[in-house]
Amino acid sequence: MSEALLEIRRARPLLGTLVQIRAAGGGPHRRVQAAVDAAFARIEQLHALLSYHDPASELSQLNRGSARRARQVDAHTYRVLAAALDFAELSDGAFDPCVGDELERWGCLPRHGRARTIRASWRDVALLGSRRVRFRRRLRLDLGGIAKGYAVDLALEALREAGIDEACVNAGGDLRVTGARAQRITLRHPRAPATAGHTLLIRDGAIATSAAYASRRRVGARELSQLLDPRTRRPYLGRRSVSVRARDCMSADALTKVVLFAPTAVAERALCACEAQAYIQR
Amino acid sequence: MILPVAALVAAQPVQAMVYLSIEQAQQLMFARESLTPLALNPSAAQIAAIERSTGTRFQPASLRVWRADSGYFFVDAVIGKHDLINYAVAIGSDGKIRAVEVLEYREAYGGEVRNARWRAQFIGRRYGDPVQVGRDIQNLSGATLSCQHLTDGIRRLLALYALVIAGQAPA
Repeated sequence: MSEALLEIRRARPLLGTLVQIRAAGGGPHRRVQAAVDAAFARIEQLHALLSYHDPASELSQLNRGSARRARQVDAHTYRVLAAALDFAELSDGAFDPCVGDELERWGCLPRHGRARTIRASWRDVALLGSRRVRFRRRLRLDLGGIAKGYAVDLALEALREAGIDEACVNAGGDLRVTGARAQRITLRHPRAPATAGHTLLIRDGAIATSAAYASRRRVGARELSQLLDPRTRRPYLGRRSVSVRARDCMSADALTKVVLFAPTAVAERALCACEAQAYIQR
Repeated sequence: MILPVAALVAAQPVQAMVYLSIEQAQQLMFARESLTPLALNPSAAQIAAIERSTGTRFQPASLRVWRADSGYFFVDAVIGKHDLINYAVAIGSDGKIRAVEVLEYREAYGGEVRNARWRAQFIGRRYGDPVQVGRDIQNLSGATLSCQHLTDGIRRLLALYALVIAGQAPA
């Protein structure tokens, strides 16, 4: 590339975290800004569909009981839900999007009506044809473990469509890069999260990280984090930081939970099926 | 493939990102409109009302407001557990949020956030004032940090608009 690329960086609060987009392309400046606007618009669209916090989101409607009978959902909702169920199956339930009730009880998610333990699982969600979904019982779907990754993928696609040459979309640590050259990725150190831990180079790929340090806190006598082990319904409070590198960010996002909670053989199988690698820092 | 990796601790305490200047955010949000600084002096009763309706503390010291032809432009700072964020919000004359952009993000796990002198560098300052420089790490992956304090800040600006600005100002 002979011509210097124009690089811009922007950040907005979305998906419960800070989403940062860095994009470089040939000028004019206006064109690169418009591409970033389009990428943020995709994430905002997904946020409006899948937010657990917004009572008007499609996800909240499902959780209020609208899926007790089969109902059609948006194509994005359907795609994320289908992927979530695939990862649940692939991991024997070590990844499970049906634990929102527990996270509500812990105060990690806002309450949808009365707090109670439901103990539903991914097997209680039926995907029917024509983008229709049915819950076999009352449950609280929470796509927080996978939607950020999908949103990153969508935003990156928008940047590519707009002719951006090089970019990184980073939704609170779940990121994907594109471009001709490999980009340096820094992992936070789990024992000193403001400092750099392991670093790696990625060209056209994604990485996502899960660890307890950001959400760990004490509530009364209990210690909690946002990371819930679906098999025991207990919070993960360990020191490990799991980063997964995959081709797309949605897979990387979901697989961090698989590696954190599944038995090693199951995690290896899931990583292998997605041609992904996990990096464990302590 | 699961790879255990050694992570060496290097002393780099602060992560800092500058996204937009105030002028750039104004340009993005209000293009060619002219902006006039607005002196807002919310009364104690209004501050109390904003705090009641949002369930958060409101400290107008960090806030700056401009009036545009089609709405208002706000610059504010919020402090979280580990970070300080300077951000800009555009609210249209209809009272709806039109845009939110982060201007600067500074992270400090080491406790600097609780240090009043450290915070004072970034709150209510004029753009271009010298500040303590942090490290700019391009692509950082880690556990998801909440930005609840930023969401709370945006809700406070909406309440400020409804309770203080919309009530008094002919646009």
